[in-house]
Amino acid sequence: MTKTLSKNELESWLGNILKERTLVAPRCVDDLTLFLPVASVDEIAFDCGNTDLSPKDWFFPRTEALFTAEHKDADIEITPAVIEQETVIFGIRPCDAKGIAILDGPYLADPADSLWAQHRAKTTMIGLSCSSPAPQCFCTSMGGAPFDSSSVDILLTEVNDGYIVDAVTEKGEKLLQGVELKESDVSGSVPSCDTQVPAEGITEAVKRAFDDPYWGRLADRCLHCNICAYVCPTCYCFDIRDRTEGGKIERLRTWESCQSKGFTKIAGGHDPRVDKGSRLRQRFCHKLLYFPEQFGPLGCVGCGRCVVSCPVNIDIREIISDVQELGAKVGEGSS
Amino acid sequence: MASDFTQQIREKARELLEDGTVECVIGYETGSDGISARPAFIYNAADVERLVFDNTCTHNLVKYLLNKKAKSTAVVVKGCDSRALNLLLSERQIERDKAFVVGVVCPGIVESRWNERSEQLQKRCDWCRQHTPVVSDFMVGDPVTEQPPADFADVAEEEAKTAEERAAFWQQQAERCIRCYACRQACPGCYCTDCFAESLDPEWVGIRIAPAESQMWNTIRAFHLAGRCISCNECERVCPVNLPLSLLNRKLEQKVLELFDYRAGMSEDAPAPLITFKKDEKLGIAE
Amino acid sequence: MREAADMVDVNPFVPFPATLSRVVDLTPDVKLFTLELDNPEDGFDYKPGQFGFVSAYGAGEAPFGLTSVAYRKEGLQFAIRSVGTVTYALHQLEPGAKVGVRGPFGNFFPMDDYRGRRIIIIGGGIGFAPLRPVITTVLDNRKDYAEVVIINGARTPQDLCFATEFDDWAKAPNTKVELTVDAGDDNWKGRTALIPDVVADLKPSPENAIAVICGPPIMIRFTLQGLKKLGFGDDQIVTTLEGKMKCGLGKCFRCNVGEKYVCRDGPVFTFEQISGFIEQF
Repeated sequence: MTKTLSKNELESWLGNILKERTLVAPRCVDDLTLFLPVASVDEIAFDCGNTDLSPKDWFFPRTEALFTAEHKDADIEITPAVIEQETVIFGIRPCDAKGIAILDGPYLADPADSLWAQHRAKTTMIGLSCSSPAPQCFCTSMGGAPFDSSSVDILLTEVNDGYIVDAVTEKGEKLLQGVELKESDVSGSVPSCDTQVPAEGITEAVKRAFDDPYWGRLADRCLHCNICAYVCPTCYCFDIRDRTEGGKIERLRTWESCQSKGFTKIAGGHDPRVDKGSRLRQRFCHKLLYFPEQFGPLGCVGCGRCVVSCPVNIDIREIISDVQELGAKVGEGSS
Repeated sequence: MASDFTQQIREKARELLEDGTVECVIGYETGSDGISARPAFIYNAADVERLVFDNTCTHNLVKYLLNKKAKSTAVVVKGCDSRALNLLLSERQIERDKAFVVGVVCPGIVESRWNERSEQLQKRCDWCRQHTPVVSDFMVGDPVTEQPPADFADVAEEEAKTAEERAAFWQQQAERCIRCYACRQACPGCYCTDCFAESLDPEWVGIRIAPAESQMWNTIRAFHLAGRCISCNECERVCPVNLPLSLLNRKLEQKVLELFDYRAGMSEDAPAPLITFKKDEKLGIAE
Repeated sequence: MREAADMVDVNPFVPFPATLSRVVDLTPDVKLFTLELDNPEDGFDYKPGQFGFVSAYGAGEAPFGLTSVAYRKEGLQFAIRSVGTVTYALHQLEPGAKVGVRGPFGNFFPMDDYRGRRIIIIGGGIGFAPLRPVITTVLDNRKDYAEVVIINGARTPQDLCFATEFDDWAKAPNTKVELTVDAGDDNWKGRTALIPDVVADLKPSPENAIAVICGPPIMIRFTLQGLKKLGFGDDQIVTTLEGKMKCGLGKCFRCNVGEKYVCRDGPVFTFEQISGFIEQF
């Protein structure tokens, strides 16, 4: 038995949510689809695939004040940032939700990042299963699935005239209070995400292939912009700088990418990653080696946004495959 | 035609690598979607079969010469790309004798989105009146006769809007910018070791990823390219949030053309108007 | 795992309020700053090798090695060279100025493990700052350690940090202080040699010894080679690494050398550990 909601009922429910909280959903802006706040349910793009930028902006904003400081007589008054607004994200896909969940690893590790914790506490995620994965998707190879409910509060699955509703967490159940769900025996089709990326054992392979000249050759075409890191739901490196406006000082945190030149340049001028190859290698080692070694899951959820957006076609699926080959060769050599 | 171009490029690359004229050939190969090209760096004659040339070869490969300064490198250039080469030569960023230029008469390049086959020509190819490279050591394809100069209809359309409409439009664009700097990284004219956007002291832009800062970023970059932009439009192509950067660059391109009758990159040593002072130059633009 | 909702209260990016109590010129571009915490109950118990972030509000925040020792209760001391925006701003401050400090971060030199051993301290330029608390601890507990050799180098005599303390150090029993500069001046009567050459000349014995080195990467590399030639094992040579840092909390992932965070797993590492790193520092 499943519980279902018709399309109209869903829209009415979302309309109610809208009155009391910020409702964030996929919206079409020119020819982009982005997770943005909606003023009415009509603004929601129900039929887009996945968005062009990930929803991590709603937990790890592109710019966020960590605290503000103000000179008060001879003293300095500090006001830590507080997130007060309750937010509901509708239409988040299982891959993106998993991306958010795995970032709990670094961000909630002691000492916990209180801003991330506040965003997580104040946000409820209404996930949407993927009925037809896109050509760039490879979530199943990275330990996810198009209908994976493990990281959302509620999971909706499209069926004929509505959705199957699966309340996953207490938060999700709370949000559904007052919504009448119909019992049904309809079940969602279980789509497969067909692209096979050989990610099994990739952590070992990356370690073995660490010193291979492959990375330098791959980096030949890399522009070292920040696109891959910024569209990615699991890239989480940031920059911190002060900004003063009208006597108030904000300590800001912003997105930054390990790809940018000077990311690791220290005060004396020394830069341990001055060459392109070691910078490019850093990103993939972080996702496929350091992150899983420290936190468990791979640092990639298979959403495919970097594959679509990289201007020079640096394709993580291709890299994983290449590195497996390289790692195997090293393995053979040493035995 | 395209397959013939591919053959010619492969043969030339093989020759250049085998006789040691160059250490690397920068060209194009087919990407992971099997449809669109991507930049390829060929170091061995055995690998030249990777090289292709077709109407998806959108990248301006000249930028990569800046990473290969000490080495002899061959680079495949289309019309627009060749102007970038002249720009970098005139600004003394690369040495002519270190670059072997494989010019390709450009068939026009189509829109490229990953895994999508398109027949739609890019906007810049509609504007382009320089399909034949202006500098080359080896030419693939026969020079074409160009149509009469294009107008700046896109700029005129934008200028026809009221100031309020334009302000609202550009505010909207600035809200989308995520400051990935892909525009800068793809641009052959942007090669400053320390970009003004990253300057701390003075802080021209600031790290906040927000409309005010993004406006500053995009506007100042356009000004830094005034009289230097060669209209490859790669900046707009690479932008992940589809900012209409060509409008900014072309507005300034039109202005420079009007004021100085000058197009960037047409020759290696034409004096660039914004860095050249002539005694007999008109003072007072309003005249 | 703890729920996110339980972790909202303490913002680890907010510095402890502190006041600059003393500023002393050490060299033409290095000043010694002493900070006192405004709220003594803000815990800041630190050990040699650890570092803190000092905030010049408006200019920003940067990490600096603590150059004092907690048990002397002389305030939090940082030797800071003016090289960029934050350090320049700090250099403009006068005693009484309000700043912020976060920390202590990182691991520390295991001074207890070094007891009974011969201690060789080798530092260049501003790199000497994190070695000073090691010297202080050893000389304050002189009987607990064997022979001490201190080698301090700089570009010119004016650039030697802590010059006012050299005589006191040399006065300690069984303690040798060797100074060297790249280029002397008319008054300089000491060595003009690179640090690795001084090491080669002094030939410190590796027997039961610990060599603690800090300085620019190139100095560390050559000194390391020299020590190994003298027979020092990788586990007998320890250094403190520098990495570009922003958070100090293991979250911004900027300071890593391979899988190790300089801010959390370091900055103190033995060479045995460093040679096991997957990435070069």
